[in-house]
Amino acid sequence: MTINMEELKEIIIKELFLEDITPGDIDDNAPLFGGGLGLDSLDAVELVVIIQKHFNVEIKDMDEGRVAFESIKSLASFIEEHQKS
Amino acid sequence: MNRGAPVAITGTGCLSASGESLMQNMKTVFSGKRAPGKPGAFSSSHPVIYPVFEIKYPIPHINDQHKKYLSRTAQLALAAAAEAIMDAGLDTEAMNGLRVGVCMGTTVGSTMNDEKFYRDFKNRLEPDMSAISRYLNSNPSSVISKEYSLKGPCQTIVNACSSGTDAIGIGASWIRSGICDIVIAGGADELSRISYNGFISLMITDSDPCRPFDKNRKGLNLGEGAGLVVLESEYSLKRRNKRAKAFVIGYGSASDGYHLTAPHPEGRGLKRAIADAFIESGKKASDIGFINAHGTATPENDLAEARVLREIFSGIPFLSTKGYTGHTLGAAGAIEAVYTVASLEAGQIPVSAGFSEIDPYAAISPVTENTGISLKTALSESLAFGGQNAVLILTTEGI
Amino acid sequence: MKIYINGTGIAGGFGCGSNVLLNRLHTGVACEPSSQDGYYPAFHADISSLYDFVPKKSLRRIDHFSQLALTGAYLTFNEAGQDSFDKMATGLVLCSGYGSAKTTFSFLDSIIDSGDICASPTLFSNSVHNAAAGHISMMLGIEGPCLTVSQFEISVYSGLLSAIQWLREERVGQVLFGAVDEYFDVLGYCYQRRYGRNSNISMSPLAPGIQSAVPGEGAAFFLLSRDKATNCYGAITSVNTGSVKDFDDILPEESFYILNADGHIESDKNYSKIIPEGSLVSCYTPYYGSIPTGPAFDMAIAALSLREGRIFPVPVNVIRPDNYRIPVQESTLNQGNISCVKAGVKGEFSIITLSHPG
Repeated sequence: MTINMEELKEIIIKELFLEDITPGDIDDNAPLFGGGLGLDSLDAVELVVIIQKHFNVEIKDMDEGRVAFESIKSLASFIEEHQKS
Repeated sequence: MNRGAPVAITGTGCLSASGESLMQNMKTVFSGKRAPGKPGAFSSSHPVIYPVFEIKYPIPHINDQHKKYLSRTAQLALAAAAEAIMDAGLDTEAMNGLRVGVCMGTTVGSTMNDEKFYRDFKNRLEPDMSAISRYLNSNPSSVISKEYSLKGPCQTIVNACSSGTDAIGIGASWIRSGICDIVIAGGADELSRISYNGFISLMITDSDPCRPFDKNRKGLNLGEGAGLVVLESEYSLKRRNKRAKAFVIGYGSASDGYHLTAPHPEGRGLKRAIADAFIESGKKASDIGFINAHGTATPENDLAEARVLREIFSGIPFLSTKGYTGHTLGAAGAIEAVYTVASLEAGQIPVSAGFSEIDPYAAISPVTENTGISLKTALSESLAFGGQNAVLILTTEGI
Repeated sequence: MKIYINGTGIAGGFGCGSNVLLNRLHTGVACEPSSQDGYYPAFHADISSLYDFVPKKSLRRIDHFSQLALTGAYLTFNEAGQDSFDKMATGLVLCSGYGSAKTTFSFLDSIIDSGDICASPTLFSNSVHNAAAGHISMMLGIEGPCLTVSQFEISVYSGLLSAIQWLREERVGQVLFGAVDEYFDVLGYCYQRRYGRNSNISMSPLAPGIQSAVPGEGAAFFLLSRDKATNCYGAITSVNTGSVKDFDDILPEESFYILNADGHIESDKNYSKIIPEGSLVSCYTPYYGSIPTGPAFDMAIAALSLREGRIFPVPVNVIRPDNYRIPVQESTLNQGNISCVKAGVKGEFSIITLSHPG
């Protein structure tokens, strides 16, 4: 299934309570962590749970997380690759 | 008030997955054996099973009333209290008329989190109040105070993973300032499905037996247990012609003010807690025979701690005993304090379980075999969630 | 040694800030509880002032319990006029009867609703008892020792004991001491289960045989120091605890007593075993409700009484027992001491005495 990146952004904004951020503020290719979103290690583990909950895709550890969280685009591809049909 | 006056420890008690008394615990750790396993008291729908250090034997010194009305944490606290009080040669009668305080650390023991009750509540099944009553009856300090009909202050400290260390430090200050003649201090915590799921969600739990300070460490294993000391004033010691087995000579506490779940990478708060304990005890790094480190085996904790150990205690032997007990949260600091006292008495420290390969980033190795210690003073440290740090300096000098 | 109160920060059912509380105290009119979850009426705290101090964005992950605590903490430093302070010489002692129970249950929700694998690490972190202390330490930059204490109804006494110890042994120069408790639906359920559905209940503490407790929530914070600031409220001169059944007279001479009688039959009846007949007594729980850390709210009222030199009238719905003198009208405070007295449901008591700073 193709992941709609706008929807993915909406989910992240809602679940991480990023109240003053809109999907338009998140660049598809920009790093999710260490960038302008102000996210930290606790958000990273929360994001793992969010992906599990919404897409039933498991990010097993932070080695996988680091790859998946490189950007919205890489997260979408990670989910697409790992999603059970 | 003399902040640095030594406070006598006259009794110790401990139970953990490594044994139902302090003596048994020390026998286990000096044999290097450990037995983490799959949780038995609860199940989880996690695809991975994370080992825990669970107490599989019946909790000693506990009667049917305790079992019926008290939480497991409170029962663990009572069991370790019974051992420590007996070890000090005390009982209810001997403590009658004295000002005896209780200062206990815990995490689960102060949390209203009965899952069955809450599921029923959530499903509008109108659960009865027995789970709530058990919670209200199980405050670890109050439980001990009530059991021995004590008349002194009660304080349950919920400083997460440093609670047990803080409780002993604060208990010692009650003796020094003359608030109490005797303080029963320590920590207790049961293994809980809630904290099991919580620590897994933080991705700091190892699916193998934990490996403190090792290059390949992946996180902690949870454990359960209790550790207690009986602290006593000089007046009380003289009155009953009793000798101390060790002394609390320093306590330091400081916050990182950095992050909720991660330690400051340079151990900012830990360094200041150590400095404060040095001031209180009048000791310096070269007086310390060994360090009982926090050593949870999470990548970040051990790295921050290793940095401080390298900077302040270069060349001084250290170990983490969490490889034998798991992380017992609110009990950890207290179990480690009684292990420290027992190791000082034995003149040696056990091999730091789970370590095999040096981490180039930590660049430091805990003891890899049982190691003789010639100095009579040691330091036990705890780094807690919320950026809190606490340190105790204990000694058998002058015994 | 005297321990001075150099600032307070308070939020509860009456509103936010010591001036709001003072206005309420002048009126003598109790607050109105409201039911937000259908279980039981409660006094819900107003923490709107928090947004004056921090952008909402920085609170995104912080739960209601910690926000209550942060409100108390910011208000206190603001009132004390300490924009900056020696962060390493400042300690933090927090006490709570129940801790962040609401978040503990929200964490359980994450497991129950979506399975163990979806347990929320953010909720778990906030549910840990010392999370509020951690948030305060991070956001206000307190890097001295931090302690969180949970001793049900004796929490305030117990925490205060350690705060005073730290000051006496000169471990720190000042301590931010705070009490926090929150309302949560399980608590409302417990009330409803024990006392029935009482949608129109109003608190009438000290009324013999009448169960009228209404749960409350809030934060009451104090900046404590060995040194007296110019805007000091008063001094804490003694803290005591014990069991009602073997109470021996430890009351200060010439005191005005603020009883934390909160409409629980089992504990309200114990006040007459501690406080001698004919004493000057008041009770202000109808302003904020029944809270395990209630004595801290009474301490804030005592601090205001000392600063203003006034005894505030008892709220209209407090029964006037014949055995005590009750301040029906506002009057001048002639007593040197004000003692905040708590009798708990398990027969324990605590007495915290404040006096003029001198």
